[in-house]
Amino acid sequence: MSHKEIIRKYYSKLGKFDSDIKKIENNNELHLVLNDPNKLHDFCKFLKQDFDLRLLTIICCDERKLNHGFKIRHVFGSDADDFFLFVTIFIDESHPHFPSLYDVFPSSILYEREINDMFGLIAKGNPNIKPLILHDFPNNVFPLRKDFNLNDDVKRNLKQFEFTPITGEGVCEIPVGPIHAGIIEPGHFRFSVLGETIINLETRLGYTHKGIEKLAESMSINDVVFLSERISGDESIANSVAFCQAIEKIAKLTISQKAKQIRLLFAELERIYNHFGTLGGILADVGFPYGASRLNILKEQIMQLNERLSGSRILFGVNQIGGVKISITDEMLIDIHFVLDDAFQIFEKIFDHLKSNPSVMDRLRNTGIIEKQLARDRGLVGISSRCIGIETDARQTHPYGYYPSINLKQKTLRETMEHQVELQKRIGDVLSRFMSRVDDLRQSKAIIDSITTLKDDGLSMSMNDELIPYSSGLGYAESHRGETLHWVMIGEDNSIFRYKIRTASFSNWPVIEHAVLNNIVADFPVINKSFDFSYSGNDL
Amino acid sequence: MSDFSMLDYGLGILQALLLIVLSPLIVGMMRKIKAKSQKRIGSGIFQPYYDIVKLLRKEEIVSDQSSWIFRATPWVNFVTTASAAFFIPVFLVYSPFGVVGDILLVVGLFALGRFFTMLAGLDTASSFGGLGSSREMMVSVLVEPALFMTIFVIASFYGGTNISTIVSSANDTSILIVPGILFALIAFFIIMMAETGKIPFDNPSTHLELTMIHEATMLEYSGKSLALMEWSHAIKQMILFTLFVDIFLPWNFAEQISLIGISFGIMLFIVKVSTLASFIAFIETRVAKWRLFRVSDLIAMAISSSMIGVIFFFL
Repeated sequence: MSHKEIIRKYYSKLGKFDSDIKKIENNNELHLVLNDPNKLHDFCKFLKQDFDLRLLTIICCDERKLNHGFKIRHVFGSDADDFFLFVTIFIDESHPHFPSLYDVFPSSILYEREINDMFGLIAKGNPNIKPLILHDFPNNVFPLRKDFNLNDDVKRNLKQFEFTPITGEGVCEIPVGPIHAGIIEPGHFRFSVLGETIINLETRLGYTHKGIEKLAESMSINDVVFLSERISGDESIANSVAFCQAIEKIAKLTISQKAKQIRLLFAELERIYNHFGTLGGILADVGFPYGASRLNILKEQIMQLNERLSGSRILFGVNQIGGVKISITDEMLIDIHFVLDDAFQIFEKIFDHLKSNPSVMDRLRNTGIIEKQLARDRGLVGISSRCIGIETDARQTHPYGYYPSINLKQKTLRETMEHQVELQKRIGDVLSRFMSRVDDLRQSKAIIDSITTLKDDGLSMSMNDELIPYSSGLGYAESHRGETLHWVMIGEDNSIFRYKIRTASFSNWPVIEHAVLNNIVADFPVINKSFDFSYSGNDL
Repeated sequence: MSDFSMLDYGLGILQALLLIVLSPLIVGMMRKIKAKSQKRIGSGIFQPYYDIVKLLRKEEIVSDQSSWIFRATPWVNFVTTASAAFFIPVFLVYSPFGVVGDILLVVGLFALGRFFTMLAGLDTASSFGGLGSSREMMVSVLVEPALFMTIFVIASFYGGTNISTIVSSANDTSILIVPGILFALIAFFIIMMAETGKIPFDNPSTHLELTMIHEATMLEYSGKSLALMEWSHAIKQMILFTLFVDIFLPWNFAEQISLIGISFGIMLFIVKVSTLASFIAFIETRVAKWRLFRVSDLIAMAISSSMIGVIFFFL
C-alpha cells in the first residue's frame, strides 16, 4: 500500500469525529486538528480501541507568534502500517491547561511532565506533575517558550526533590548517586528496601540537561546535524540520520542510493559495537570478567574499524543533510566484511561458552522481569519491548533509507519455528534482553552481509535554497536502544523553529522503576545494564 | 612444653613474618593470573606492595560523623590477623607459639576483626556500609557453623585442635586419602573461598557499590587505614591458604632444625601456596558471582560435606 492509500484508509474510519477535524497530509503523516481540546480524551480512547495505536510522543510548540497560542501535537504510531497520526489541539496562553491522557495512555504522564517543565502548561488530571528535567528552575521560567532568551541568566533555585515517602517497619531508604563509582553518567536512584528486597525505586534524572532543543533554535540547519550527533555519543548515527531525514522530508529531497547504503552500513556498525559493549557490561555486572573482557575486545575491534572508515571511533561527522560526507570504497567494504566475519566467529564461540555456563545463566534468568501489559502501557520501544515479545522496530514498521531494499535470506520453515519457540521463552527478564540483543546482532550482521556492491550515484545532494517556513516533518530511525523520533518545524530563513527529540531512552527510562521491584539490591546493576539507557539522551 | 629454645622462637617469628610479608605477593599473583585470563596485561605481581606504600604516604580523610570504632578498626584488623599468623606452622612442623592457642583462637581472632569491620561499616552511616555489614553478617553467620564442623572433623582425625598437633600428625600420616579428611577438604575449600571473598561469593574487583560484600564495609577508608585494611585482608587470605596446605598437603615439613630442611621447607611452602592460589584464581575466572541469596546453598554444601566427614570418623 502506498502512503496515500494507508492515510485514506485511516481517514475514512474517522467518520464519527469528522465534524470537528481538519486534515493535513504530509507523506506518511496524517495531521488532524481538534477544534475543541476537551474532546481529545474521547478521541484518543477511540483511537486506542479502534485502531490499536501507540502514543509515541507529545510535542508542544510555542506558536503564539503565529497567533495560534500553544499547539500540542499528540503523535500516534501504528505497529501494522507505516503511518503516523498527529492529533493537534490549541491551547490559549490565558488558560494554560490541557487534558491529560494518563488513563488512556499511561506513558503520556512522562511527556506531560516534560511539557509542564518546558512550557508551563499543566495537564489536567495528571496525578504526578513533579518536575522531570528542570529541578532547580524558578517556577515561572519556561525555557522552550519563545520569550525565553537562550542567554538569559536563570537564577537557580535549589529545591529539595520530593521523593514519595515509603514507610513501614524495617523499611530503609538507600540513596544512590548522582555520582557513581566507575565512569558512567549521573542519575539519582532512591531505593526503599525491606532487607535486601527492593520495594520501591524512584529515579531522578536531568543532571545532564544541556538544552539541546532550545540550542537548536539558534543554530543553522547544517550545524544542528552536529548537535544531533551529540545528543548521546553512542547513538550518533541514529540521531543524525533521524534529523537529516526529517529535514529531507520537509525539503522533499530524495537522497542517492549510495548515501542510503552508507548510512545503513554505519547505523548497523553502531548497533553492533554497542550491543557487544552492553553484553560485555551485563557479564561484568554479574561478576564474570572472563566473558566481559572478550566481548569488550570485539567492541574495540569494531570501534577501530569505525575509525578506519570514518576517522571517528563513535562515528561523528558522517551524516549531512542530503547525504553523507564519508564515502565507502569497495576496499573499505571488504574490510568491513572481513572484520565482522572474524568478530562474529569469535562471538558465537563466546556465546556458546556463556550458554553452557550455569552460574552466568542463573544470574540472568528471572532477574528484573517486566510484564507485557506494562510494556504496552509505558510505550516501550527497542530491546525493552522485544524482550517480552512486542516487535517494535522502526526498520520494519516504518522502513526508511535503504532498509526497504534489503533482501535477507529467507528463513527455512524449521528455522522460523525454532525462532518462534525461542520467542516463547522471552519473559522479559535480563536473559530475554540478553538474547534479544544477540538476535539483533545477528540480524545486523545479515543486513551488512547482504550489501555486497555499492551503488555509484554520488554521496550528497544539495538542498533547495529556501524551505517553506513553518513546514514540519517527522524523522525516525532505529538506534540500538529503539525507535528514535525527531520532529522538526522550520522557521523563517531556513532556521529551526522547533526541534523535538524523543529518544528511546526517554520513553523507556521509567520502566526501570518497575523492573527492579521484588528483586534484591545486589541485582540492580545488572538489571539497569540489561536495559542500557542513555542518561544524556534522556535529559537532552 | 617450655622446651623451646631461643632459636625455636626466632624461627617461629620468622614463620609469622614470612606470612605477613609474602601475603601481598599472593594477592598480586592472583590478580596477574586473572588479568591474563581476561587477555589483559595486568599490573605487576608486586603492585600490592606499591599500593600499600602509596597509601601509607597518602592523606587520610575520616568522616566527622564517625566514632572511635571507625579509627580503631584497621588496627584491630591488622593486629588480629598478624597475631593469628604466629600460630601457623609454615616450614617447621610446629609453631613455638602454639602453646598459647589453637585453631579455635585463630578463628576467634578472625571473628573479632570481622566484628569490628562490620561495626565500622555501620559507624559511618553511609548507605553502602550498612548494606555491606548486613551482607557480611549473613555470610559469616552461615560460614561459622560450617567452619566449626570442619575443624571438628580435622581435630577428631588428628587428635586435637592445636595446629602444631594437627600438622605433625598429618605429616606423619602416610596415606592422606581418608574419606573423612577428603570431605573436610571440600568443606574447608568452600569456607576458604567465602572467607576470603572470592568470586562465587563476592567480587572484590567490582566498582559497583550495590553488589559488594566485604568492600562495601571499607568504602570509607583512605590512606593509612585503607593500607592496613587491605594488608590485613591479604594476611588473612594467606593464613587460610597456609592452613589449607598445612592440613591437607602436609608433606616435607622440617622436623628438625637444619639449614637444608628449612630452606627446602620454605621453597616447598611457596610452591604449594602459589599452586593453590593459581587454582583459586582459575576457578574465579570460570564462574560468575552467584546470586546473593544462593550463597547459602554453597555453604550448605560445606556443612553437609563436613557432616559426612564426621560420620566417616565414627564408622
